[in-house]
Amino acid sequence: MDATVKTHFIGKEDKAPAKPSFVLWRPSAKTGLMSWLTTVDHKKIGFLYGSFALFFFLVGGVEALLIRLQLMHPNNTLLTAQQYNTLFTMHGTTMIFLAVMPLGAAFFNFIMPLQIGARDVAFPRLNAFSLWTFVAGAIILNIGWFLPDGAPDAGWFGYAPLTSKLYNPTHATDFWILGLQLLGVASIAAALNFIVTIINLRAPGMTMMRLPVFTWMTLITSFLIILSFPAITIALVEVMFDRQFGTNFFEVSNGGMPILWQHLFWIFGHPEVYILILPAMGIVSEILPTFSRKPLFGYPIVVFSGASIGFLGFTVWSHHMFTTGMGTVATAAFSLATMAIAVPTGVKIFNWIGTLWGGHLKMRTPMMFALGFIWMFMIGGFSGVMHAAAPADAQQQDSYFVIAHFHYVLIGGSIFALLAGIHYWFPLVIGRQVSDFWGKLSFWVIFVGFNVTFFPMHFLGLNGMPRRTFTYDGNMGWNTANYIATIGALILGVGIGLYFAVMIYTFFKGEKANRDHWDGRTLEWSLPNPPPEYNYRVIPTIHARDAYWYEKHHREEIAQENAVHAQEDEAHGGIHMPYQSIYPLVASCGALLGGFGACYHTLVVALAGGLVLLSGIYLWAMEGAEGYHIHLDAEGRIVEDPHAKH
Amino acid sequence: MRLISSPSTLARWVRAALALGGLALLTGCDLNFWTMKGHQSTIDVDGPVAKAQLHVFYVTCWVTLVIFLIVGSVLAYAILKFRARTDADEHAEPPEQGHGNPLIELGLIGASVLALVIIAIPTIEAIGYTYDVPAEDKATAFEVNATAYQWWFKFEYPSEQIAGAGPLVAANELVIPVGRAVHINLRAMDVIHSFWVPKLAGKVDMIPNRGNFLWLKAETPGYYWGQCAEYCGDSHAVMRFRVIALGPRDFNEWVNRQTAPAREVAKVAAADQPKAQFASYRSDWKRNEKGWSPEFELNPFQGWQAQQEPDANHENPALIAQGRALFQSKTCFSCHVIRGHMVGGSGAYPDLTHVGARSTIAAGLLENTPEQLARWISHPDQVKPGNKMYATGYIPNNIKLTPDDVAALVAYLRSLK
Repeated sequence: MDATVKTHFIGKEDKAPAKPSFVLWRPSAKTGLMSWLTTVDHKKIGFLYGSFALFFFLVGGVEALLIRLQLMHPNNTLLTAQQYNTLFTMHGTTMIFLAVMPLGAAFFNFIMPLQIGARDVAFPRLNAFSLWTFVAGAIILNIGWFLPDGAPDAGWFGYAPLTSKLYNPTHATDFWILGLQLLGVASIAAALNFIVTIINLRAPGMTMMRLPVFTWMTLITSFLIILSFPAITIALVEVMFDRQFGTNFFEVSNGGMPILWQHLFWIFGHPEVYILILPAMGIVSEILPTFSRKPLFGYPIVVFSGASIGFLGFTVWSHHMFTTGMGTVATAAFSLATMAIAVPTGVKIFNWIGTLWGGHLKMRTPMMFALGFIWMFMIGGFSGVMHAAAPADAQQQDSYFVIAHFHYVLIGGSIFALLAGIHYWFPLVIGRQVSDFWGKLSFWVIFVGFNVTFFPMHFLGLNGMPRRTFTYDGNMGWNTANYIATIGALILGVGIGLYFAVMIYTFFKGEKANRDHWDGRTLEWSLPNPPPEYNYRVIPTIHARDAYWYEKHHREEIAQENAVHAQEDEAHGGIHMPYQSIYPLVASCGALLGGFGACYHTLVVALAGGLVLLSGIYLWAMEGAEGYHIHLDAEGRIVEDPHAKH
Repeated sequence: MRLISSPSTLARWVRAALALGGLALLTGCDLNFWTMKGHQSTIDVDGPVAKAQLHVFYVTCWVTLVIFLIVGSVLAYAILKFRARTDADEHAEPPEQGHGNPLIELGLIGASVLALVIIAIPTIEAIGYTYDVPAEDKATAFEVNATAYQWWFKFEYPSEQIAGAGPLVAANELVIPVGRAVHINLRAMDVIHSFWVPKLAGKVDMIPNRGNFLWLKAETPGYYWGQCAEYCGDSHAVMRFRVIALGPRDFNEWVNRQTAPAREVAKVAAADQPKAQFASYRSDWKRNEKGWSPEFELNPFQGWQAQQEPDANHENPALIAQGRALFQSKTCFSCHVIRGHMVGGSGAYPDLTHVGARSTIAAGLLENTPEQLARWISHPDQVKPGNKMYATGYIPNNIKLTPDDVAALVAYLRSLK
């Protein structure tokens, strides 16, 4: 046996609780609403994360279309200034925190444990808490649409002192502050969970340098989250204190420093950019080898460049602040550090091309999106280098050139990769296969629409059109490009609509997919689709980097090994599964209530919410981490109802 | 499927859609999209600072373009060459399972670093050059203080002191001498704004409690568009300003006119007064409707020059006197300074001493014509959303203006050359 392989077993045979009390009742519904609300299954949680994320992706998309329609013509009156400002604030906040991040989290949740051969994440109930707290944050952030105060309108970056009570007296800004705060809690909890899972729950033989690249990027992204979110947490607490208790962190008349907000925000905000793009790079690094039918070119360098992007990501925050008058030395330092990031990013692109080189490229929909990603991300990366040159950035900053740049990185980059990932793992997750024709058609419509929308914005920006402007005059030379961009946005909207129509159709009516639909290389493809709740009947033993590819070429060896391990597993009591729990949901409801209390500056409600949160966590601790065992027969059917013995 | 019953129907629909789209494109088309020669172009610039920044942009542009062409060709070649064309291709034996080549990797890393050095050197040079007035220009540099408010700009000239009134103050139109370095101190009194005149220099933010500055130099006399470039609330989009660069003689003349107190209009006999001046103003302005005329657009610099001289033929002293009285009775004077005419106002509001000599009003949004002026003072809230004059002046003081009041106020303000 491989020297790196050590067998391990999770948990020991648990006794049923001696006196199950009412308070510590454990739900066991396997279907229906209750099963979803109390689930601790990483796959169900991942699916819920994905569903919420896609819903908010469509909401953010509609906001974007309204923005584009307003800018279609000069001096347009479709939206008022207030409405426009609300829409661009919510578009940015929604897309970043409620669409792309949770969509990444959906993949982390669903795919990562499968890739490392685990049966769940390390803390299944904490995982449920992350999900429901994310939902609570999303509710608070969006609740303004239905209330007289309106939704937040101070920009997704919320620069002080525009967020102060003097300039934004309504509760809209409080929704933004508390909403982001809860989303931060959710992200940090989830990130810690992923880190512990990857470090502790890898299958025997899955050394760090055999981790699939997507799992590596999950790990790096999770570290970025736990290191960067505290900065915005502090900043949000400060602005909350300013608004509620009259403190002076950003209060100019009492010596507060608005520039402090920018430093705190961007020391979170720049790693956040990599939190959005690294999972995408991970997905692409999975898809390209599968569809080229050869291993990733330069795996260690791809992993290391991901890590160095993450590390350098913390050294460049002030390139968002080149125009704040930092002086020559700081400007030059941040300028050079930013250029340095281009090296590991370029390395990734070289390695992806290296992966394609000499392969048998199967041009299926996921591959199309992945190749689209490389092209678009290259363009976005190059305009990024232009911003890194601070003197050029003095003209580009806060102009449409920047809008073009980061949409190339975030749509052409993140979204393309996430859409590729949905296509790629759909047969595994849902068990149905998506039509290649309709998939490719949606890709081409999205690809064309995206470029028609955002390429002209480079010209707009260089021609001096500032961003976040609800109107412009017709004499500035911006009419044509804006008109084209709006047409492009409509095409893009049609493409996204088509994409989701295809997905929803396939979800209900699609043909059943074969096991290992794409001839995959990583472990998750060894599972039946959709994967059973316990994932792996036998915890696999890993012998090579592309574990499943190896297995497919060493069937007998692996089968013998698995038979031995199955017996050992059975001797230890069978497949260990955690109990479901209602308390993560209770705790998140407490966070939601407390958040509302804080939004309305009502101490009683805030404290009540805090109390519910604490009781939820207390009971969650008291009910214990017990689980039950599943026993399977030779065909993989569950032979004994785990709850029957209680 | 009934809607698109046959390929020919589909084709007809497509053709109609294309024709519509094409027509719309043509009607709205301007070459500016490609040439980027708009009023706020960062490509067609006119000053050493903007030129230095443009130079760095071109360096980044060329370097990345070359890399894109090389990497893009390799990528395109790989996609075309190694594509599985047939089903047999897809089910062929898998290709060689190679894991990479460290030498190629190292070579590419080295090449990327080299390309970045090509960009880094001019970047560092330009960071130093664009930061502050060069040593050789220091002695002749002209000093201005620019202060941003929601949603307008105040310009102060510390070198042009007026006895008993402090430095010369103007609003929303910054007049500078040509060929001299101008050092602009940037301040903000409420939220963060940003000072951006694309043709002269990149932006620098105006941040409360922070002493920022920038420098720029105009090489030819002219009229330059500027705009706030940091989101600053409701009316950020319409917080604009202008920079007018004048030759030495013109500039001195301008300073002399501006440092003088507000102009008094000579009394003339009732019989000589023009009647029905500014009689009918449009009142059906749409929200966001453009506020400039094609003639002004054709030659804005000339338009600005034309505003400097009073148009005695169209001045009605009685109406002007009435407007002056209204300016006091409607409490306008408690915020706006009109130096020499009345005591009141403060530096936190636009100085109107010479408002008639500006080419624009409402922070560079509307052309300074009687009609636009009437539009502005009749419904400030509709011209600029969230407008402070409306929120903290009109509403608390219950200011209501009849059309006659508006005509009189317009006549008065227009006379302030």
